[in-house]
Amino acid sequence: MTHHRFSSRQTLAHLVLIFGAVIVLLPFYVMLTTSFKSSVGIASGTGGLFGAQELVLDQSCVNLGGSEQDCLTRPLIDNYHQAFTAAPLWRYLLNGVIVTASIFVLQTLIAVPAAYALAKLRFWGRDAAFGLVLFCLLIPVHAIALPLYLMLAKLGLTNSYAALILPWIVSAFGIFLMRQFFMTVPDDLIDAARMDGMGEFAIIWRVMLPTAIPALLAFAIFSVVAHWNDYFWPRIVLTGDRNLFTPPLGLREFKGDLDGDFYGPMMATATVIVTPLVVAFLLAQRRFIDGITLTGMK
Amino acid sequence: MSDVLMSALPRARRNARPEARQARAGAILVSPAVILLIVILILPVAVAFVLSFSDYTLGRDTLEWVGFENYADIFTRSSYRKMIVATVLYVVITVPISVGLGLGAALLIRSLKVGQNLYKTVYFLPVMASLLAMAIVWEFALHPTLGIVNRTLALGCGSSLELWPWYARSCAEGFPLWLGDRDYALWTLAFIGIWQSFGFNMVLYLAGLTSVPRDLYGAAEMDGVRAPWERFRLITWPMLGPTTVFVVTITMIRSFQVFDTVEALTHGGPAKSTYVMIYAIYEKGIAQNLVGLGAAITMLFLGFVMLISVAQRRFVERKVHYQ
Repeated sequence: MTHHRFSSRQTLAHLVLIFGAVIVLLPFYVMLTTSFKSSVGIASGTGGLFGAQELVLDQSCVNLGGSEQDCLTRPLIDNYHQAFTAAPLWRYLLNGVIVTASIFVLQTLIAVPAAYALAKLRFWGRDAAFGLVLFCLLIPVHAIALPLYLMLAKLGLTNSYAALILPWIVSAFGIFLMRQFFMTVPDDLIDAARMDGMGEFAIIWRVMLPTAIPALLAFAIFSVVAHWNDYFWPRIVLTGDRNLFTPPLGLREFKGDLDGDFYGPMMATATVIVTPLVVAFLLAQRRFIDGITLTGMK
Repeated sequence: MSDVLMSALPRARRNARPEARQARAGAILVSPAVILLIVILILPVAVAFVLSFSDYTLGRDTLEWVGFENYADIFTRSSYRKMIVATVLYVVITVPISVGLGLGAALLIRSLKVGQNLYKTVYFLPVMASLLAMAIVWEFALHPTLGIVNRTLALGCGSSLELWPWYARSCAEGFPLWLGDRDYALWTLAFIGIWQSFGFNMVLYLAGLTSVPRDLYGAAEMDGVRAPWERFRLITWPMLGPTTVFVVTITMIRSFQVFDTVEALTHGGPAKSTYVMIYAIYEKGIAQNLVGLGAAITMLFLGFVMLISVAQRRFVERKVHYQ
């Protein structure tokens, strides 16, 4: 009897969790299925996940003078084709990669030496410097967007990669995280390296950093996820130049000229933007979840 | 700790010269970070503070000092009162539900014999996906006529669901416009915020649950604590105290910063019902170039965030568990 009660409780737990999962997955389903459908299929709400895939006319092909016969295509292909041709989506993706990679590399170059000094070296002002780091942890960059924007505008830097990257290159959190990690590295390791005649720089990059790979990886995941998905900051510092748009901005622009016919290509764009991180997450779930929890405080 | 070790064990090779070298190296290594922290984080706070007492606009060389006029505007004009109401309401709706669902999901998942990882993965997916992209998808799902939500709800018309007055009325007069209705818009945005964030809280709670010592439950059982609810109330919940403080703080600070969904879906409307602070800073300070006003809202916002952090520290100092 106990066994029976237990299993019915398990079933109930599964039912509740499945209901939650349906709601969590709903927008992903809507996104995918809409990106597969023609505007007719979207308006009627029929066709299941993949839609009817009835032949549709590729408008850009017709505009280029193709005959109707040659220009017939499937909705799925048409939507993704339009996503990449109606807007420079490849360019947006490239910008996303450039910006996220630059931010992470610069954050590392600045945070790791500082973290090492704060953890392992004795120098005048160390406590004050660490106090500054702790204080800066309390300031969300989004909150000071206005003065940052003004400073960049005064320097003539808005609408540039610099504007997208510079405000993020120093991460109080990155310094804090790496410092906590370096504290656990035994001093003997550093002393031995010094005995071997290594300079402080060599110690940082060749002795300390290799021991801190797990922390650095966690920070990398945190940083890349935050900046690939960030919409607020690019929205503020980019006003005109489409060539600098990051993926979320590109998608937002798509939404700007919305009418019924555009849902298919728009959802195709959304799918393309969301896919890289979701796939990376599915491939390395443990690392992502550990990384995001470790770096939870932003 | 390393300081203590260093001074307690004076080593022969740690003579004066290497120490001076270490002091110089330390200062050099830490200075880029310190300078950047000051320029990128501290200076802007000072700039916002100073400009909040002015009527500065970008592109004009002069400015006038207006004293507390910008602050007075915020606290007297109805549109800014609505801003504070919308922000606080959004936080008050989002935080308890997101934290509660995170905890509930974590407890349910921990109790499972099979499928733990599957649910964990599914619930964490929204945390990975671009909020802007998913907000646009939700907007489409909530579209009054094309959207899957209202289409699905309409299927229930004529069934016993109509016993619920709201449902019967909606069947007769049409289901809500969600984002287009001032009574529903903020709740709809809060729903999207909860959808996006509770998986994150779940993961933090799962980590917290693994650190609750198993033998506590055994000891409680010996003392006659058998009902699941009693076990939760007496052991799990108190032991999760530190996790809860942390989760609540993060969720609060993040929901105070809600912007993507507002900018993309409602622009603060309808009737300013979703006019949250970060959106107001963007609209006033940047889009409309009313820098003084935007700076004053920025200071108010920073005040809120600092208040949350200070409250968190207080809580932690009071030793949240075993109290």
